[in-house]
Amino acid sequence: MASELKFLVVDDFSTMRRIVRNLLKEIGYTEADEAEDGVAALNKLRNSSFDFVVSDINMPNMNGFQLLQEIKKDDKLKHLPVLMVTAEARKEDIVMAAQQGAAGYIVKPFTKSTLEDKVNLILTKLGLK
Amino acid sequence: MSNTIPTDEVHQRIGVLTRQLHDSLAGLGLADKVKTWAGELPDAKSRLSYIARLTGEAAEKVLNNVDQAKLHHDHIASETRRIGALIVKDPVAAVAKGHVMNFINDVEQATQEIDKNLTDIMMAQDFHDLTGQVIAKVVTLAANIEEQLVQLLLITAPGDAVVKTAASDELKGESVNVIDEPVLQGPVVSPEGNPDVVKSQSEVDDLLASLGF
Repeated sequence: MASELKFLVVDDFSTMRRIVRNLLKEIGYTEADEAEDGVAALNKLRNSSFDFVVSDINMPNMNGFQLLQEIKKDDKLKHLPVLMVTAEARKEDIVMAAQQGAAGYIVKPFTKSTLEDKVNLILTKLGLK
Repeated sequence: MSNTIPTDEVHQRIGVLTRQLHDSLAGLGLADKVKTWAGELPDAKSRLSYIARLTGEAAEKVLNNVDQAKLHHDHIASETRRIGALIVKDPVAAVAKGHVMNFINDVEQATQEIDKNLTDIMMAQDFHDLTGQVIAKVVTLAANIEEQLVQLLLITAPGDAVVKTAASDELKGESVNVIDEPVLQGPVVSPEGNPDVVKSQSEVDDLLASLGF
């Protein structure tokens, strides 16, 4: 069931991690963990099982693009859909994210319905919903 | 006896100081940096305005939603008292006449509205992330300017002068932390007229669609 899918929310701002987790819960996805940057996210991804990654881009230590690259070159993780949720609004960043294999891109500030639409669209495309 | 300096002399002294500053900056190779600061300061101003706008909007959004939620809450509280009195007076009539069912519907509708208010209050907190990124950029600019000014002060100060700042301590210890400008830009504070950035989620979706996503 889609509602049992496990999400990893990656953002260096704890406020935003809480907001995204709460929104996911409201739209029916109650299983979620969080990480404060790409390094912490990779550790969690490699040591636990996840179905979906929602990641910021501008983060210390390892940013969202670097995290995306690491996920896509790891045979055990590359199947994971990665939805970028970021304040980076430059077209070149959006194009780069798409080329590197991001499943979707949301620009902050966003609404609950935008997150819901994108998550559901990605899950539908992957046959997980 | 008056200590007033004639206006002409003040102007002349300011002129001399300006020339000295200009020559010092040029001699130290800082002229280009000053030009860069001059270009960045208006940007810092627009970033601070962006912070003020976002925090103001968030505060207003929260207060409006609290007002609405309190109205729903007050309505439920008064209805609960009213329906309670009806049930105590005549429980059978309260059910038979539909008072209880109407109350249940009222509660359901009000809780849905309050839930929406709470979600909107939560979403209003996203300003913390966005303003935090912008503040970090302004702080970086201020730190860069301070570092360069302290460097200028250390080089040009008389031998017996004592310059004591956090940045000067770092300089003396030869452990200057050069603050690199992040490659990523963070929130776009003034997207108007900038063709390189998107202004809405629909523009993101259009761009991705044009790439086949």
